[in-house]
Amino acid sequence: MVGVGALGAHLVSGRPLGAAAIVALYLAVTLLVWGVNGFAFRRLPLSGAALFLFSAATFGVLFLLGYLLGGVAGPFLIDAANRAVPYLKLADAVFYLFAVMTCFGAAGCAFSRNIIYSAWSLLFALLGAAGLYVFLGADFPAVAQVLIYVGGVLVLILFAIMLTKQIGEDPKLTNTHVGFPAGVALAIVTIATLTYTAVMAPWKVAAERSWEPTAQRLGIAFLTDYLLPFEVASVVLLAALIGAVVIARKEIKETSDVST
Amino acid sequence: MTTIQLPHFLIVGAILFALGMVTVVTRRNAVGILMGVELILNAANVNFIAFNHFVEGPAKLTGQVFSIFVIVLAAAEAAVGLAIVLAIYQTFRTIDVEETDLLRE
Repeated sequence: MVGVGALGAHLVSGRPLGAAAIVALYLAVTLLVWGVNGFAFRRLPLSGAALFLFSAATFGVLFLLGYLLGGVAGPFLIDAANRAVPYLKLADAVFYLFAVMTCFGAAGCAFSRNIIYSAWSLLFALLGAAGLYVFLGADFPAVAQVLIYVGGVLVLILFAIMLTKQIGEDPKLTNTHVGFPAGVALAIVTIATLTYTAVMAPWKVAAERSWEPTAQRLGIAFLTDYLLPFEVASVVLLAALIGAVVIARKEIKETSDVST
Repeated sequence: MTTIQLPHFLIVGAILFALGMVTVVTRRNAVGILMGVELILNAANVNFIAFNHFVEGPAKLTGQVFSIFVIVLAAAEAAVGLAIVLAIYQTFRTIDVEETDLLRE
């Protein structure tokens, strides 16, 4: 990737490449192919001369691609980017970054075949949601989201996956019952309905916005207006944790009356 | 001034909710179902905080307070749910929700 980037930069800047740079790029591509070969293409064992031939072919393709990008598409892309800059605001770009991260994480969580990959996708969905909270001026919920969800709930989920699934024994435990097409149809219908509602409903939008830190006001609100729910929530947490310990501990029975 | 308005966040929340519902409906792994529930709770949180920012204005903090309560209840739900999953696994040696049908017999 670095090699391709350097190649594109050289070609965009219009200077010809030196021989040393080409050799370095070829070595970089060879290393890349070697790494990808060991990492992803287990089915396609390349070794020795075949590896160098394959990397040479890859280098040629990348060189042509870089030449095309740099010579033909490069000026056009630069011109388009220069035109787009005044219309693209940084805050909007950050929002779309977090929104795309959240949505792709949720999609990976929903449609991944392997439950471990689902858990990692859930990590990205939760982090993207935390970024959206920051974007909405809710700094304390964002920090709580990162601490509790990513630091607590996700670790708990990963523990549960590791404890319940023998690694390497049954990787396809996440078979779908309703099925992929039905799931996609359900997602499309739900998203369409909710999006229509969100866009068409006449929300009474407030006039002023604020991005001030809210942690102090939240603390005061928890200890004045929301004191009873706050205490109830703490009792609920205590009861839930004690109940979790009681449920999850291994019971010692003389006669096991429940069998598979 | 940014051009991002309330519907943008509501659409993100809708996508999160729909994908969480798909996760809950299509998974057979009990842990996967719990992850879908977490997604749905996050969608609710995004909506709470977006409404707090755009509709309620900076004078009140009701949406953020409720988002904190949702996070607390999600943590409790995850602890109890995963404990139940572990208990099911110890009993049935599987967490496929199709096969844990002891009460049906």
